Amino acid sequence: MISLSIQVEPFPIVEPLIVRLQESGTEARSQHDAVLLDIDGHRREYNFQGFSFVVRTPPDECIDGDVLLVLPGQTSAHRLIRASSHHNTLLVTEQCDQLCVMCSQPPKKYHTDLFDQFAVAAALAPQGAMIGISGGEPLLHKTRLFEMITKVAVERPDIRFHVLTNGQHLEPSDVETIFQLGRERILWGVPLYSANRNTHDRIVGKDGAFARLELGLVTLMRAGASVELRTVVLQQNWSDLPDLATFINTRLGFISVWALMQLERIGYGRMNWDSSFQDTSTEFEQIRRAVDIATARGIRTSLYNFPLCSVPPEYRDFAPSTISDWKRKYLEFCTDCGARGTCGGFFQWYSHNEGFAALGPL
Amino acid sequence: MPIVPLKFRESDDDLLLFADDAGGYFKSDSKFLHRYALGRLEPSDIRFLHDHGHGFEEIGDLAYSGFEHRFASRQYVPHELDYIILVPTLRCNLACGYCQVSRVNENTPGFDWDEKTIEAVLRFLGNLATRKIKIEFQGGEPLLRLDIIKRVRDYCRVKFEESEFVICTNLQDVSFEAWKLLEQPDVFTSTSLDSNPLTHQFQRTITAEKTNTFFKNLAAAVEKLGPGKVSALPTINPHNPPLPQSVIDTFLDFGIRSIYLRPVNYQGFARRKFDARASAKIWNQYHSSFIDALVELNWISDQPVEEYYFVHCLRRVLRAGHNGHVDLRNPNLVGYGYLVIDHDGELYPTDEARMVSRIGQFDLSMGDVHSGLSRDTVDAFNAEALNNFHPDCVHCPYQAFCGVDLVDDLSRYGRIDLPKHLTDFCQRHTYIFDKIFSMIYSDDPKVRKSLAIWSGSPRFDGSLAKVHR
Ligand code: SF4
Ligand code: SF4
Repeated sequence: MISLSIQVEPFPIVEPLIVRLQESGTEARSQHDAVLLDIDGHRREYNFQGFSFVVRTPPDECIDGDVLLVLPGQTSAHRLIRASSHHNTLLVTEQCDQLCVMCSQPPKKYHTDLFDQFAVAAALAPQGAMIGISGGEPLLHKTRLFEMITKVAVERPDIRFHVLTNGQHLEPSDVETIFQLGRERILWGVPLYSANRNTHDRIVGKDGAFARLELGLVTLMRAGASVELRTVVLQQNWSDLPDLATFINTRLGFISVWALMQLERIGYGRMNWDSSFQDTSTEFEQIRRAVDIATARGIRTSLYNFPLCSVPPEYRDFAPSTISDWKRKYLEFCTDCGARGTCGGFFQWYSHNEGFAALGPL
Repeated sequence: MPIVPLKFRESDDDLLLFADDAGGYFKSDSKFLHRYALGRLEPSDIRFLHDHGHGFEEIGDLAYSGFEHRFASRQYVPHELDYIILVPTLRCNLACGYCQVSRVNENTPGFDWDEKTIEAVLRFLGNLATRKIKIEFQGGEPLLRLDIIKRVRDYCRVKFEESEFVICTNLQDVSFEAWKLLEQPDVFTSTSLDSNPLTHQFQRTITAEKTNTFFKNLAAAVEKLGPGKVSALPTINPHNPPLPQSVIDTFLDFGIRSIYLRPVNYQGFARRKFDARASAKIWNQYHSSFIDALVELNWISDQPVEEYYFVHCLRRVLRAGHNGHVDLRNPNLVGYGYLVIDHDGELYPTDEARMVSRIGQFDLSMGDVHSGLSRDTVDAFNAEALNNFHPDCVHCPYQAFCGVDLVDDLSRYGRIDLPKHLTDFCQRHTYIFDKIFSMIYSDDPKVRKSLAIWSGSPRFDGSLAKVHR
């Protein structure tokens, strides 16, 4: 597992600091660049504006180009951007107004505003990067979020964002802002669990959430936004999936992709595993129907987080490898599998004795 | 709760097919029709209509906006001019009975671009705003002017970021130099393959020797260039059609699994020889038997085959936004996304428009390559080229899937205001959508297998054939 934090030696700051690590012999390209001076075992010393900045990491680890967030008084820095990865996500708040049964990052009450630092960090990302924005619910701090994205868009028109939002806080007045940011700039990942409003509301733990979400989706449609509609497959919505496909065809034809997602066993997903996990290796019918309907209707459909051997052969093309590198693992039987190169495997926190019953190498 | 307007049509299973302006459809019975017509819908009707996108609660809500989006996506909006059909010569080394584009003998002088025209064409291409270009060479037989093809190609490769060339050739006489051209990665070959060797000889090559040459060259093309780079179109005489199976076999022999059946076109010199007027009915019968043959084949074969236009229409039924093909769209605005430069430098919106103008029915030219594009006539014509307000089409449940072809109406009837159901276009499309719906609502596993293949999904789900009772 790749660590998302990194040890630093105490650095005399009073404000959060953004540092980009540069390999030795390069020029600092911005006031945030620290240039490597020396590696001594686990210790790497950088020149940061004439000061010594020290990072501790295994000698073989590549951290060139990584962007760190260093907080005053802390000896562990956040690796906000890993230059070698396509899976960089900024967790902009831990507050949320929903309480989903499968939440992987259960909400907290307090919020620290680091949008200014995130804007700086995003602008230091490698060319053409797609940066995830997640929470909590990022749009609880909508004004700040849009400020941040606008700022980065001006400085770095090549950077794109993948914003995960529950869609509760998008309003008609946001259409103009979203339109101005541009269709290419943001991919909106928005969850919808059922076409039945009661089922959806129950899954997200909020009365009236479905109705608010409908309005949020209208806002995105009118703004011409790119949307990745996300449906975690659960026992709670298993029998609703074909109707949801019909609902998407009649109401949400504008989306870029419909993602049917397997459950992540972490946070509430772990707590509610027994009552939520749907073993799609033994029973695939509702997904099969959902994919058939959506595909015939020309809606691009994708299965996220499904081990390939859990998917019937005709549907494997719908299942790309989606588990982020730092969260991914394979099991013992994967060693002899011919599909390992294209299979995304399992989440680190997946537990096989409570998981899929019918897997095996392909 | 408001319900969107529904149109209906009887079908062969005692039910009625209903459809709305955005292409949403379902079947129900005449009792429902009565309740709908008399404004006496029951709560279960309303729930059904709402769940399936035929109603909404208030203007601007998700159901309403989704409907708007589907409706809007079904309207074709032309993009910038990036597809040019060039006719560098009208001369040809074959004299096919139905030649659609009209042609002159191989050694007739005065039917090729002269130097001034070539330069004007290059200038015209040079002034295009697009960064990607697709050039199709037609004729006559364009390989007779390999020199011009090469000049245009060299020019485009420098001027555009991406360019693609299609050579529509009869593959009758392919020189070493010509093969070298066809083998290049940005060059594609399109030819005519009239069903089977016998029909091909009868309709096109006349002598056995020429027929052999053609089939040898086609085999060589598929082998050298790969089946993905060679396409072939069969022209069918509906009065004397080949057996579907023999057409399919011939195409499969060459590894071609998408077959675009075309009736002999009632235009140009073709009408002298073949009577294609009022042949919609026999064409429809033939086409239907062809689709049935494909269904049988796909049931047993693991190499699926399709009829290109049928699949296009099927996808237009199932999906909004499937406007990618010039042969069926609405509005059918011509003269924008693509145009034709004729052998004399005249500009036309389509190949058919070129014919209509040539035989003096109506001048649809858009100026010439020397003095530039003028869209006045074509725009007046375009103003009528939509079915949305057509007094017949507004009552037709197929309206959202269908299109218009005014050039076809003009060429057949000399006018564009005939009642729709009397036109060949309408008769052919009424048939094709009837056929599609009879298949969508069929329980036959063979039919469902082909529908799945043609719609691109692993299985064809039963809920795509909704019935409300
Ligand atoms: S055996 Fe492992 S690598 Fe192979 S498909 Fe299954 S989960 Fe993926
Ligand atoms: S042309 Fe005929 S089939 Fe097409 S919409 Fe009009 S009436 Fe219907």
